[in-house]
Amino acid sequence: MSTTCPRLFEVEALRDGRLTGAERSRFESHLSVCGACAREAQALRALADELRSAGDSADSDELHVRRERTRLLAAFDEGLVPSARAPRLRSWLGAVAAVLVLGALVAAFVRWPVRSAARAALSPAPPEPITVRADSSARWSRQSEAGLERVVLDSGALSIRVDHATSQRRLLVVLPDGELEDIGTTFSVSAAAGHTTRVTVQDGSVVLRLRGSPPIALGAGDAWSPPPLPAVAPSAVAMPSPAASSAALVLPAAPSAKHAVAAVTEGDPSADFRAAMASLDSGDNATAAARFAAFLARHPQNARAEDAAYLRILAFERTGNSAATQRAARDYLARYPHGFRHAEAEALTR
Amino acid sequence: MSSRINRPAPVEALELSDPELMRQLATGQLGALGALYDRYQAPLRRFLARATQDAHDVDDLAHATFLSAARCAARYDGRASCRPWLIGIAAQLLRRRRRASSRFVAVLAAFKGTLLLEADPRPALQARSDVEKALGGLSEPKRITLLMAEVEGLSCEEISQALAIPIGTVWTRLHAARRELRQALAARHAGGGEP
Repeated sequence: MSTTCPRLFEVEALRDGRLTGAERSRFESHLSVCGACAREAQALRALADELRSAGDSADSDELHVRRERTRLLAAFDEGLVPSARAPRLRSWLGAVAAVLVLGALVAAFVRWPVRSAARAALSPAPPEPITVRADSSARWSRQSEAGLERVVLDSGALSIRVDHATSQRRLLVVLPDGELEDIGTTFSVSAAAGHTTRVTVQDGSVVLRLRGSPPIALGAGDAWSPPPLPAVAPSAVAMPSPAASSAALVLPAAPSAKHAVAAVTEGDPSADFRAAMASLDSGDNATAAARFAAFLARHPQNARAEDAAYLRILAFERTGNSAATQRAARDYLARYPHGFRHAEAEALTR
Repeated sequence: MSSRINRPAPVEALELSDPELMRQLATGQLGALGALYDRYQAPLRRFLARATQDAHDVDDLAHATFLSAARCAARYDGRASCRPWLIGIAAQLLRRRRRASSRFVAVLAAFKGTLLLEADPRPALQARSDVEKALGGLSEPKRITLLMAEVEGLSCEEISQALAIPIGTVWTRLHAARRELRQALAARHAGGGEP
């Protein structure tokens, strides 16, 4: 058996796909009878195997991988921010600087965006996805902006229905003493003498944010009316203050609100996180912030709680609400003084 | 040259196929990027670490690879696994990075990696296998081409596209890389392992 062969170079050609058709089959027949070529083929295979197995050893540690993941998502998110932050939305939101940290109970989980997109594609959009009925004494106005429908209620009662299957727009009800964010729903809201007097939710859920109080998520069947005492100061947010009926979720604005957290029912962390991410992905940043807050409240020990706390800051940042961003950043720092995103959160508190 | 089975990904990431994930990413969905990261960060980082022989750079390169992937997700060709595609993007970034620091790389290349490796205090590098050390002695273009072909399972056409070089150059590089690698390994074995 010879140790070399004039066709030896073809072994590599075969491996690299340089031989095709008849050329290939002819050389394959040769390979089966030529010892030198067979040894060469084996040597090349062994070299490749060695290369592959040598690369298998080094795995970086879990924490590092997570940290890098967060960094990546934040960078991607940053790239999206300029388009998501319309200047007029930002300036308006700046005016509502007193609005508190958001909260939301995810009453109707957002399905995978794919499916909702498919649904939206199947059904033609009706002309009016948001309907507002006002009582005769109501003083209110309605404004449309890019991606945002704003209803300003001074006094009186409104009954609102939003069909989120056909509308991708956010609906915000501006109240004399706060605001109400809709998350796919039918609800009524009343105001009088500069205060919100009643919110009832028939379907879906809303987040009620009143100045000086933690946000309240109201689900289907919930009704809210102001507590007999004046609104609780922000420092006392641990108390589930405005009396929300049934299972309405009161979110802690600070990590010390342990008992409020404990009162919250268990949910599927993965579904909750996904719902929050879906909101963020769809550009519904206010809802995303509320959902991340809800995630934190429901699953404070979950591995993704820190991600949620950080993404909540980002969601606020994207809405342009700097007061809420700062609060969320402080909340993050209080929860995770040595967190992955400590430096970024620190910068955002100012 | 088949691609290997990937490490198990979190449950959520398993729900969508790669093409579906890329479609979502093309619409700017953050969650899709997270899932893509969970699925491919490990092989991508391994590729980058070996290609660059520089662990310090890997995080930034992986980061840039995923961000580039997100930017051009709409152009994804729809194949079942986007691992080769990601590797292709990473290789393009490496090419650009190399151009930017060609003088520095030239100095390193002059040492053929040996001096650098001996001087490096990192235990991970010191514990590297012979083949890994020999790989470090190759020029970066050859090393990258070889890794793409033999470890990542890209075809020569795919490599040629990713690196924007003629397919003949891919073949030449592969041939030279294998020859040098085998010579280096043979020298190590003949010299009792350590250089």
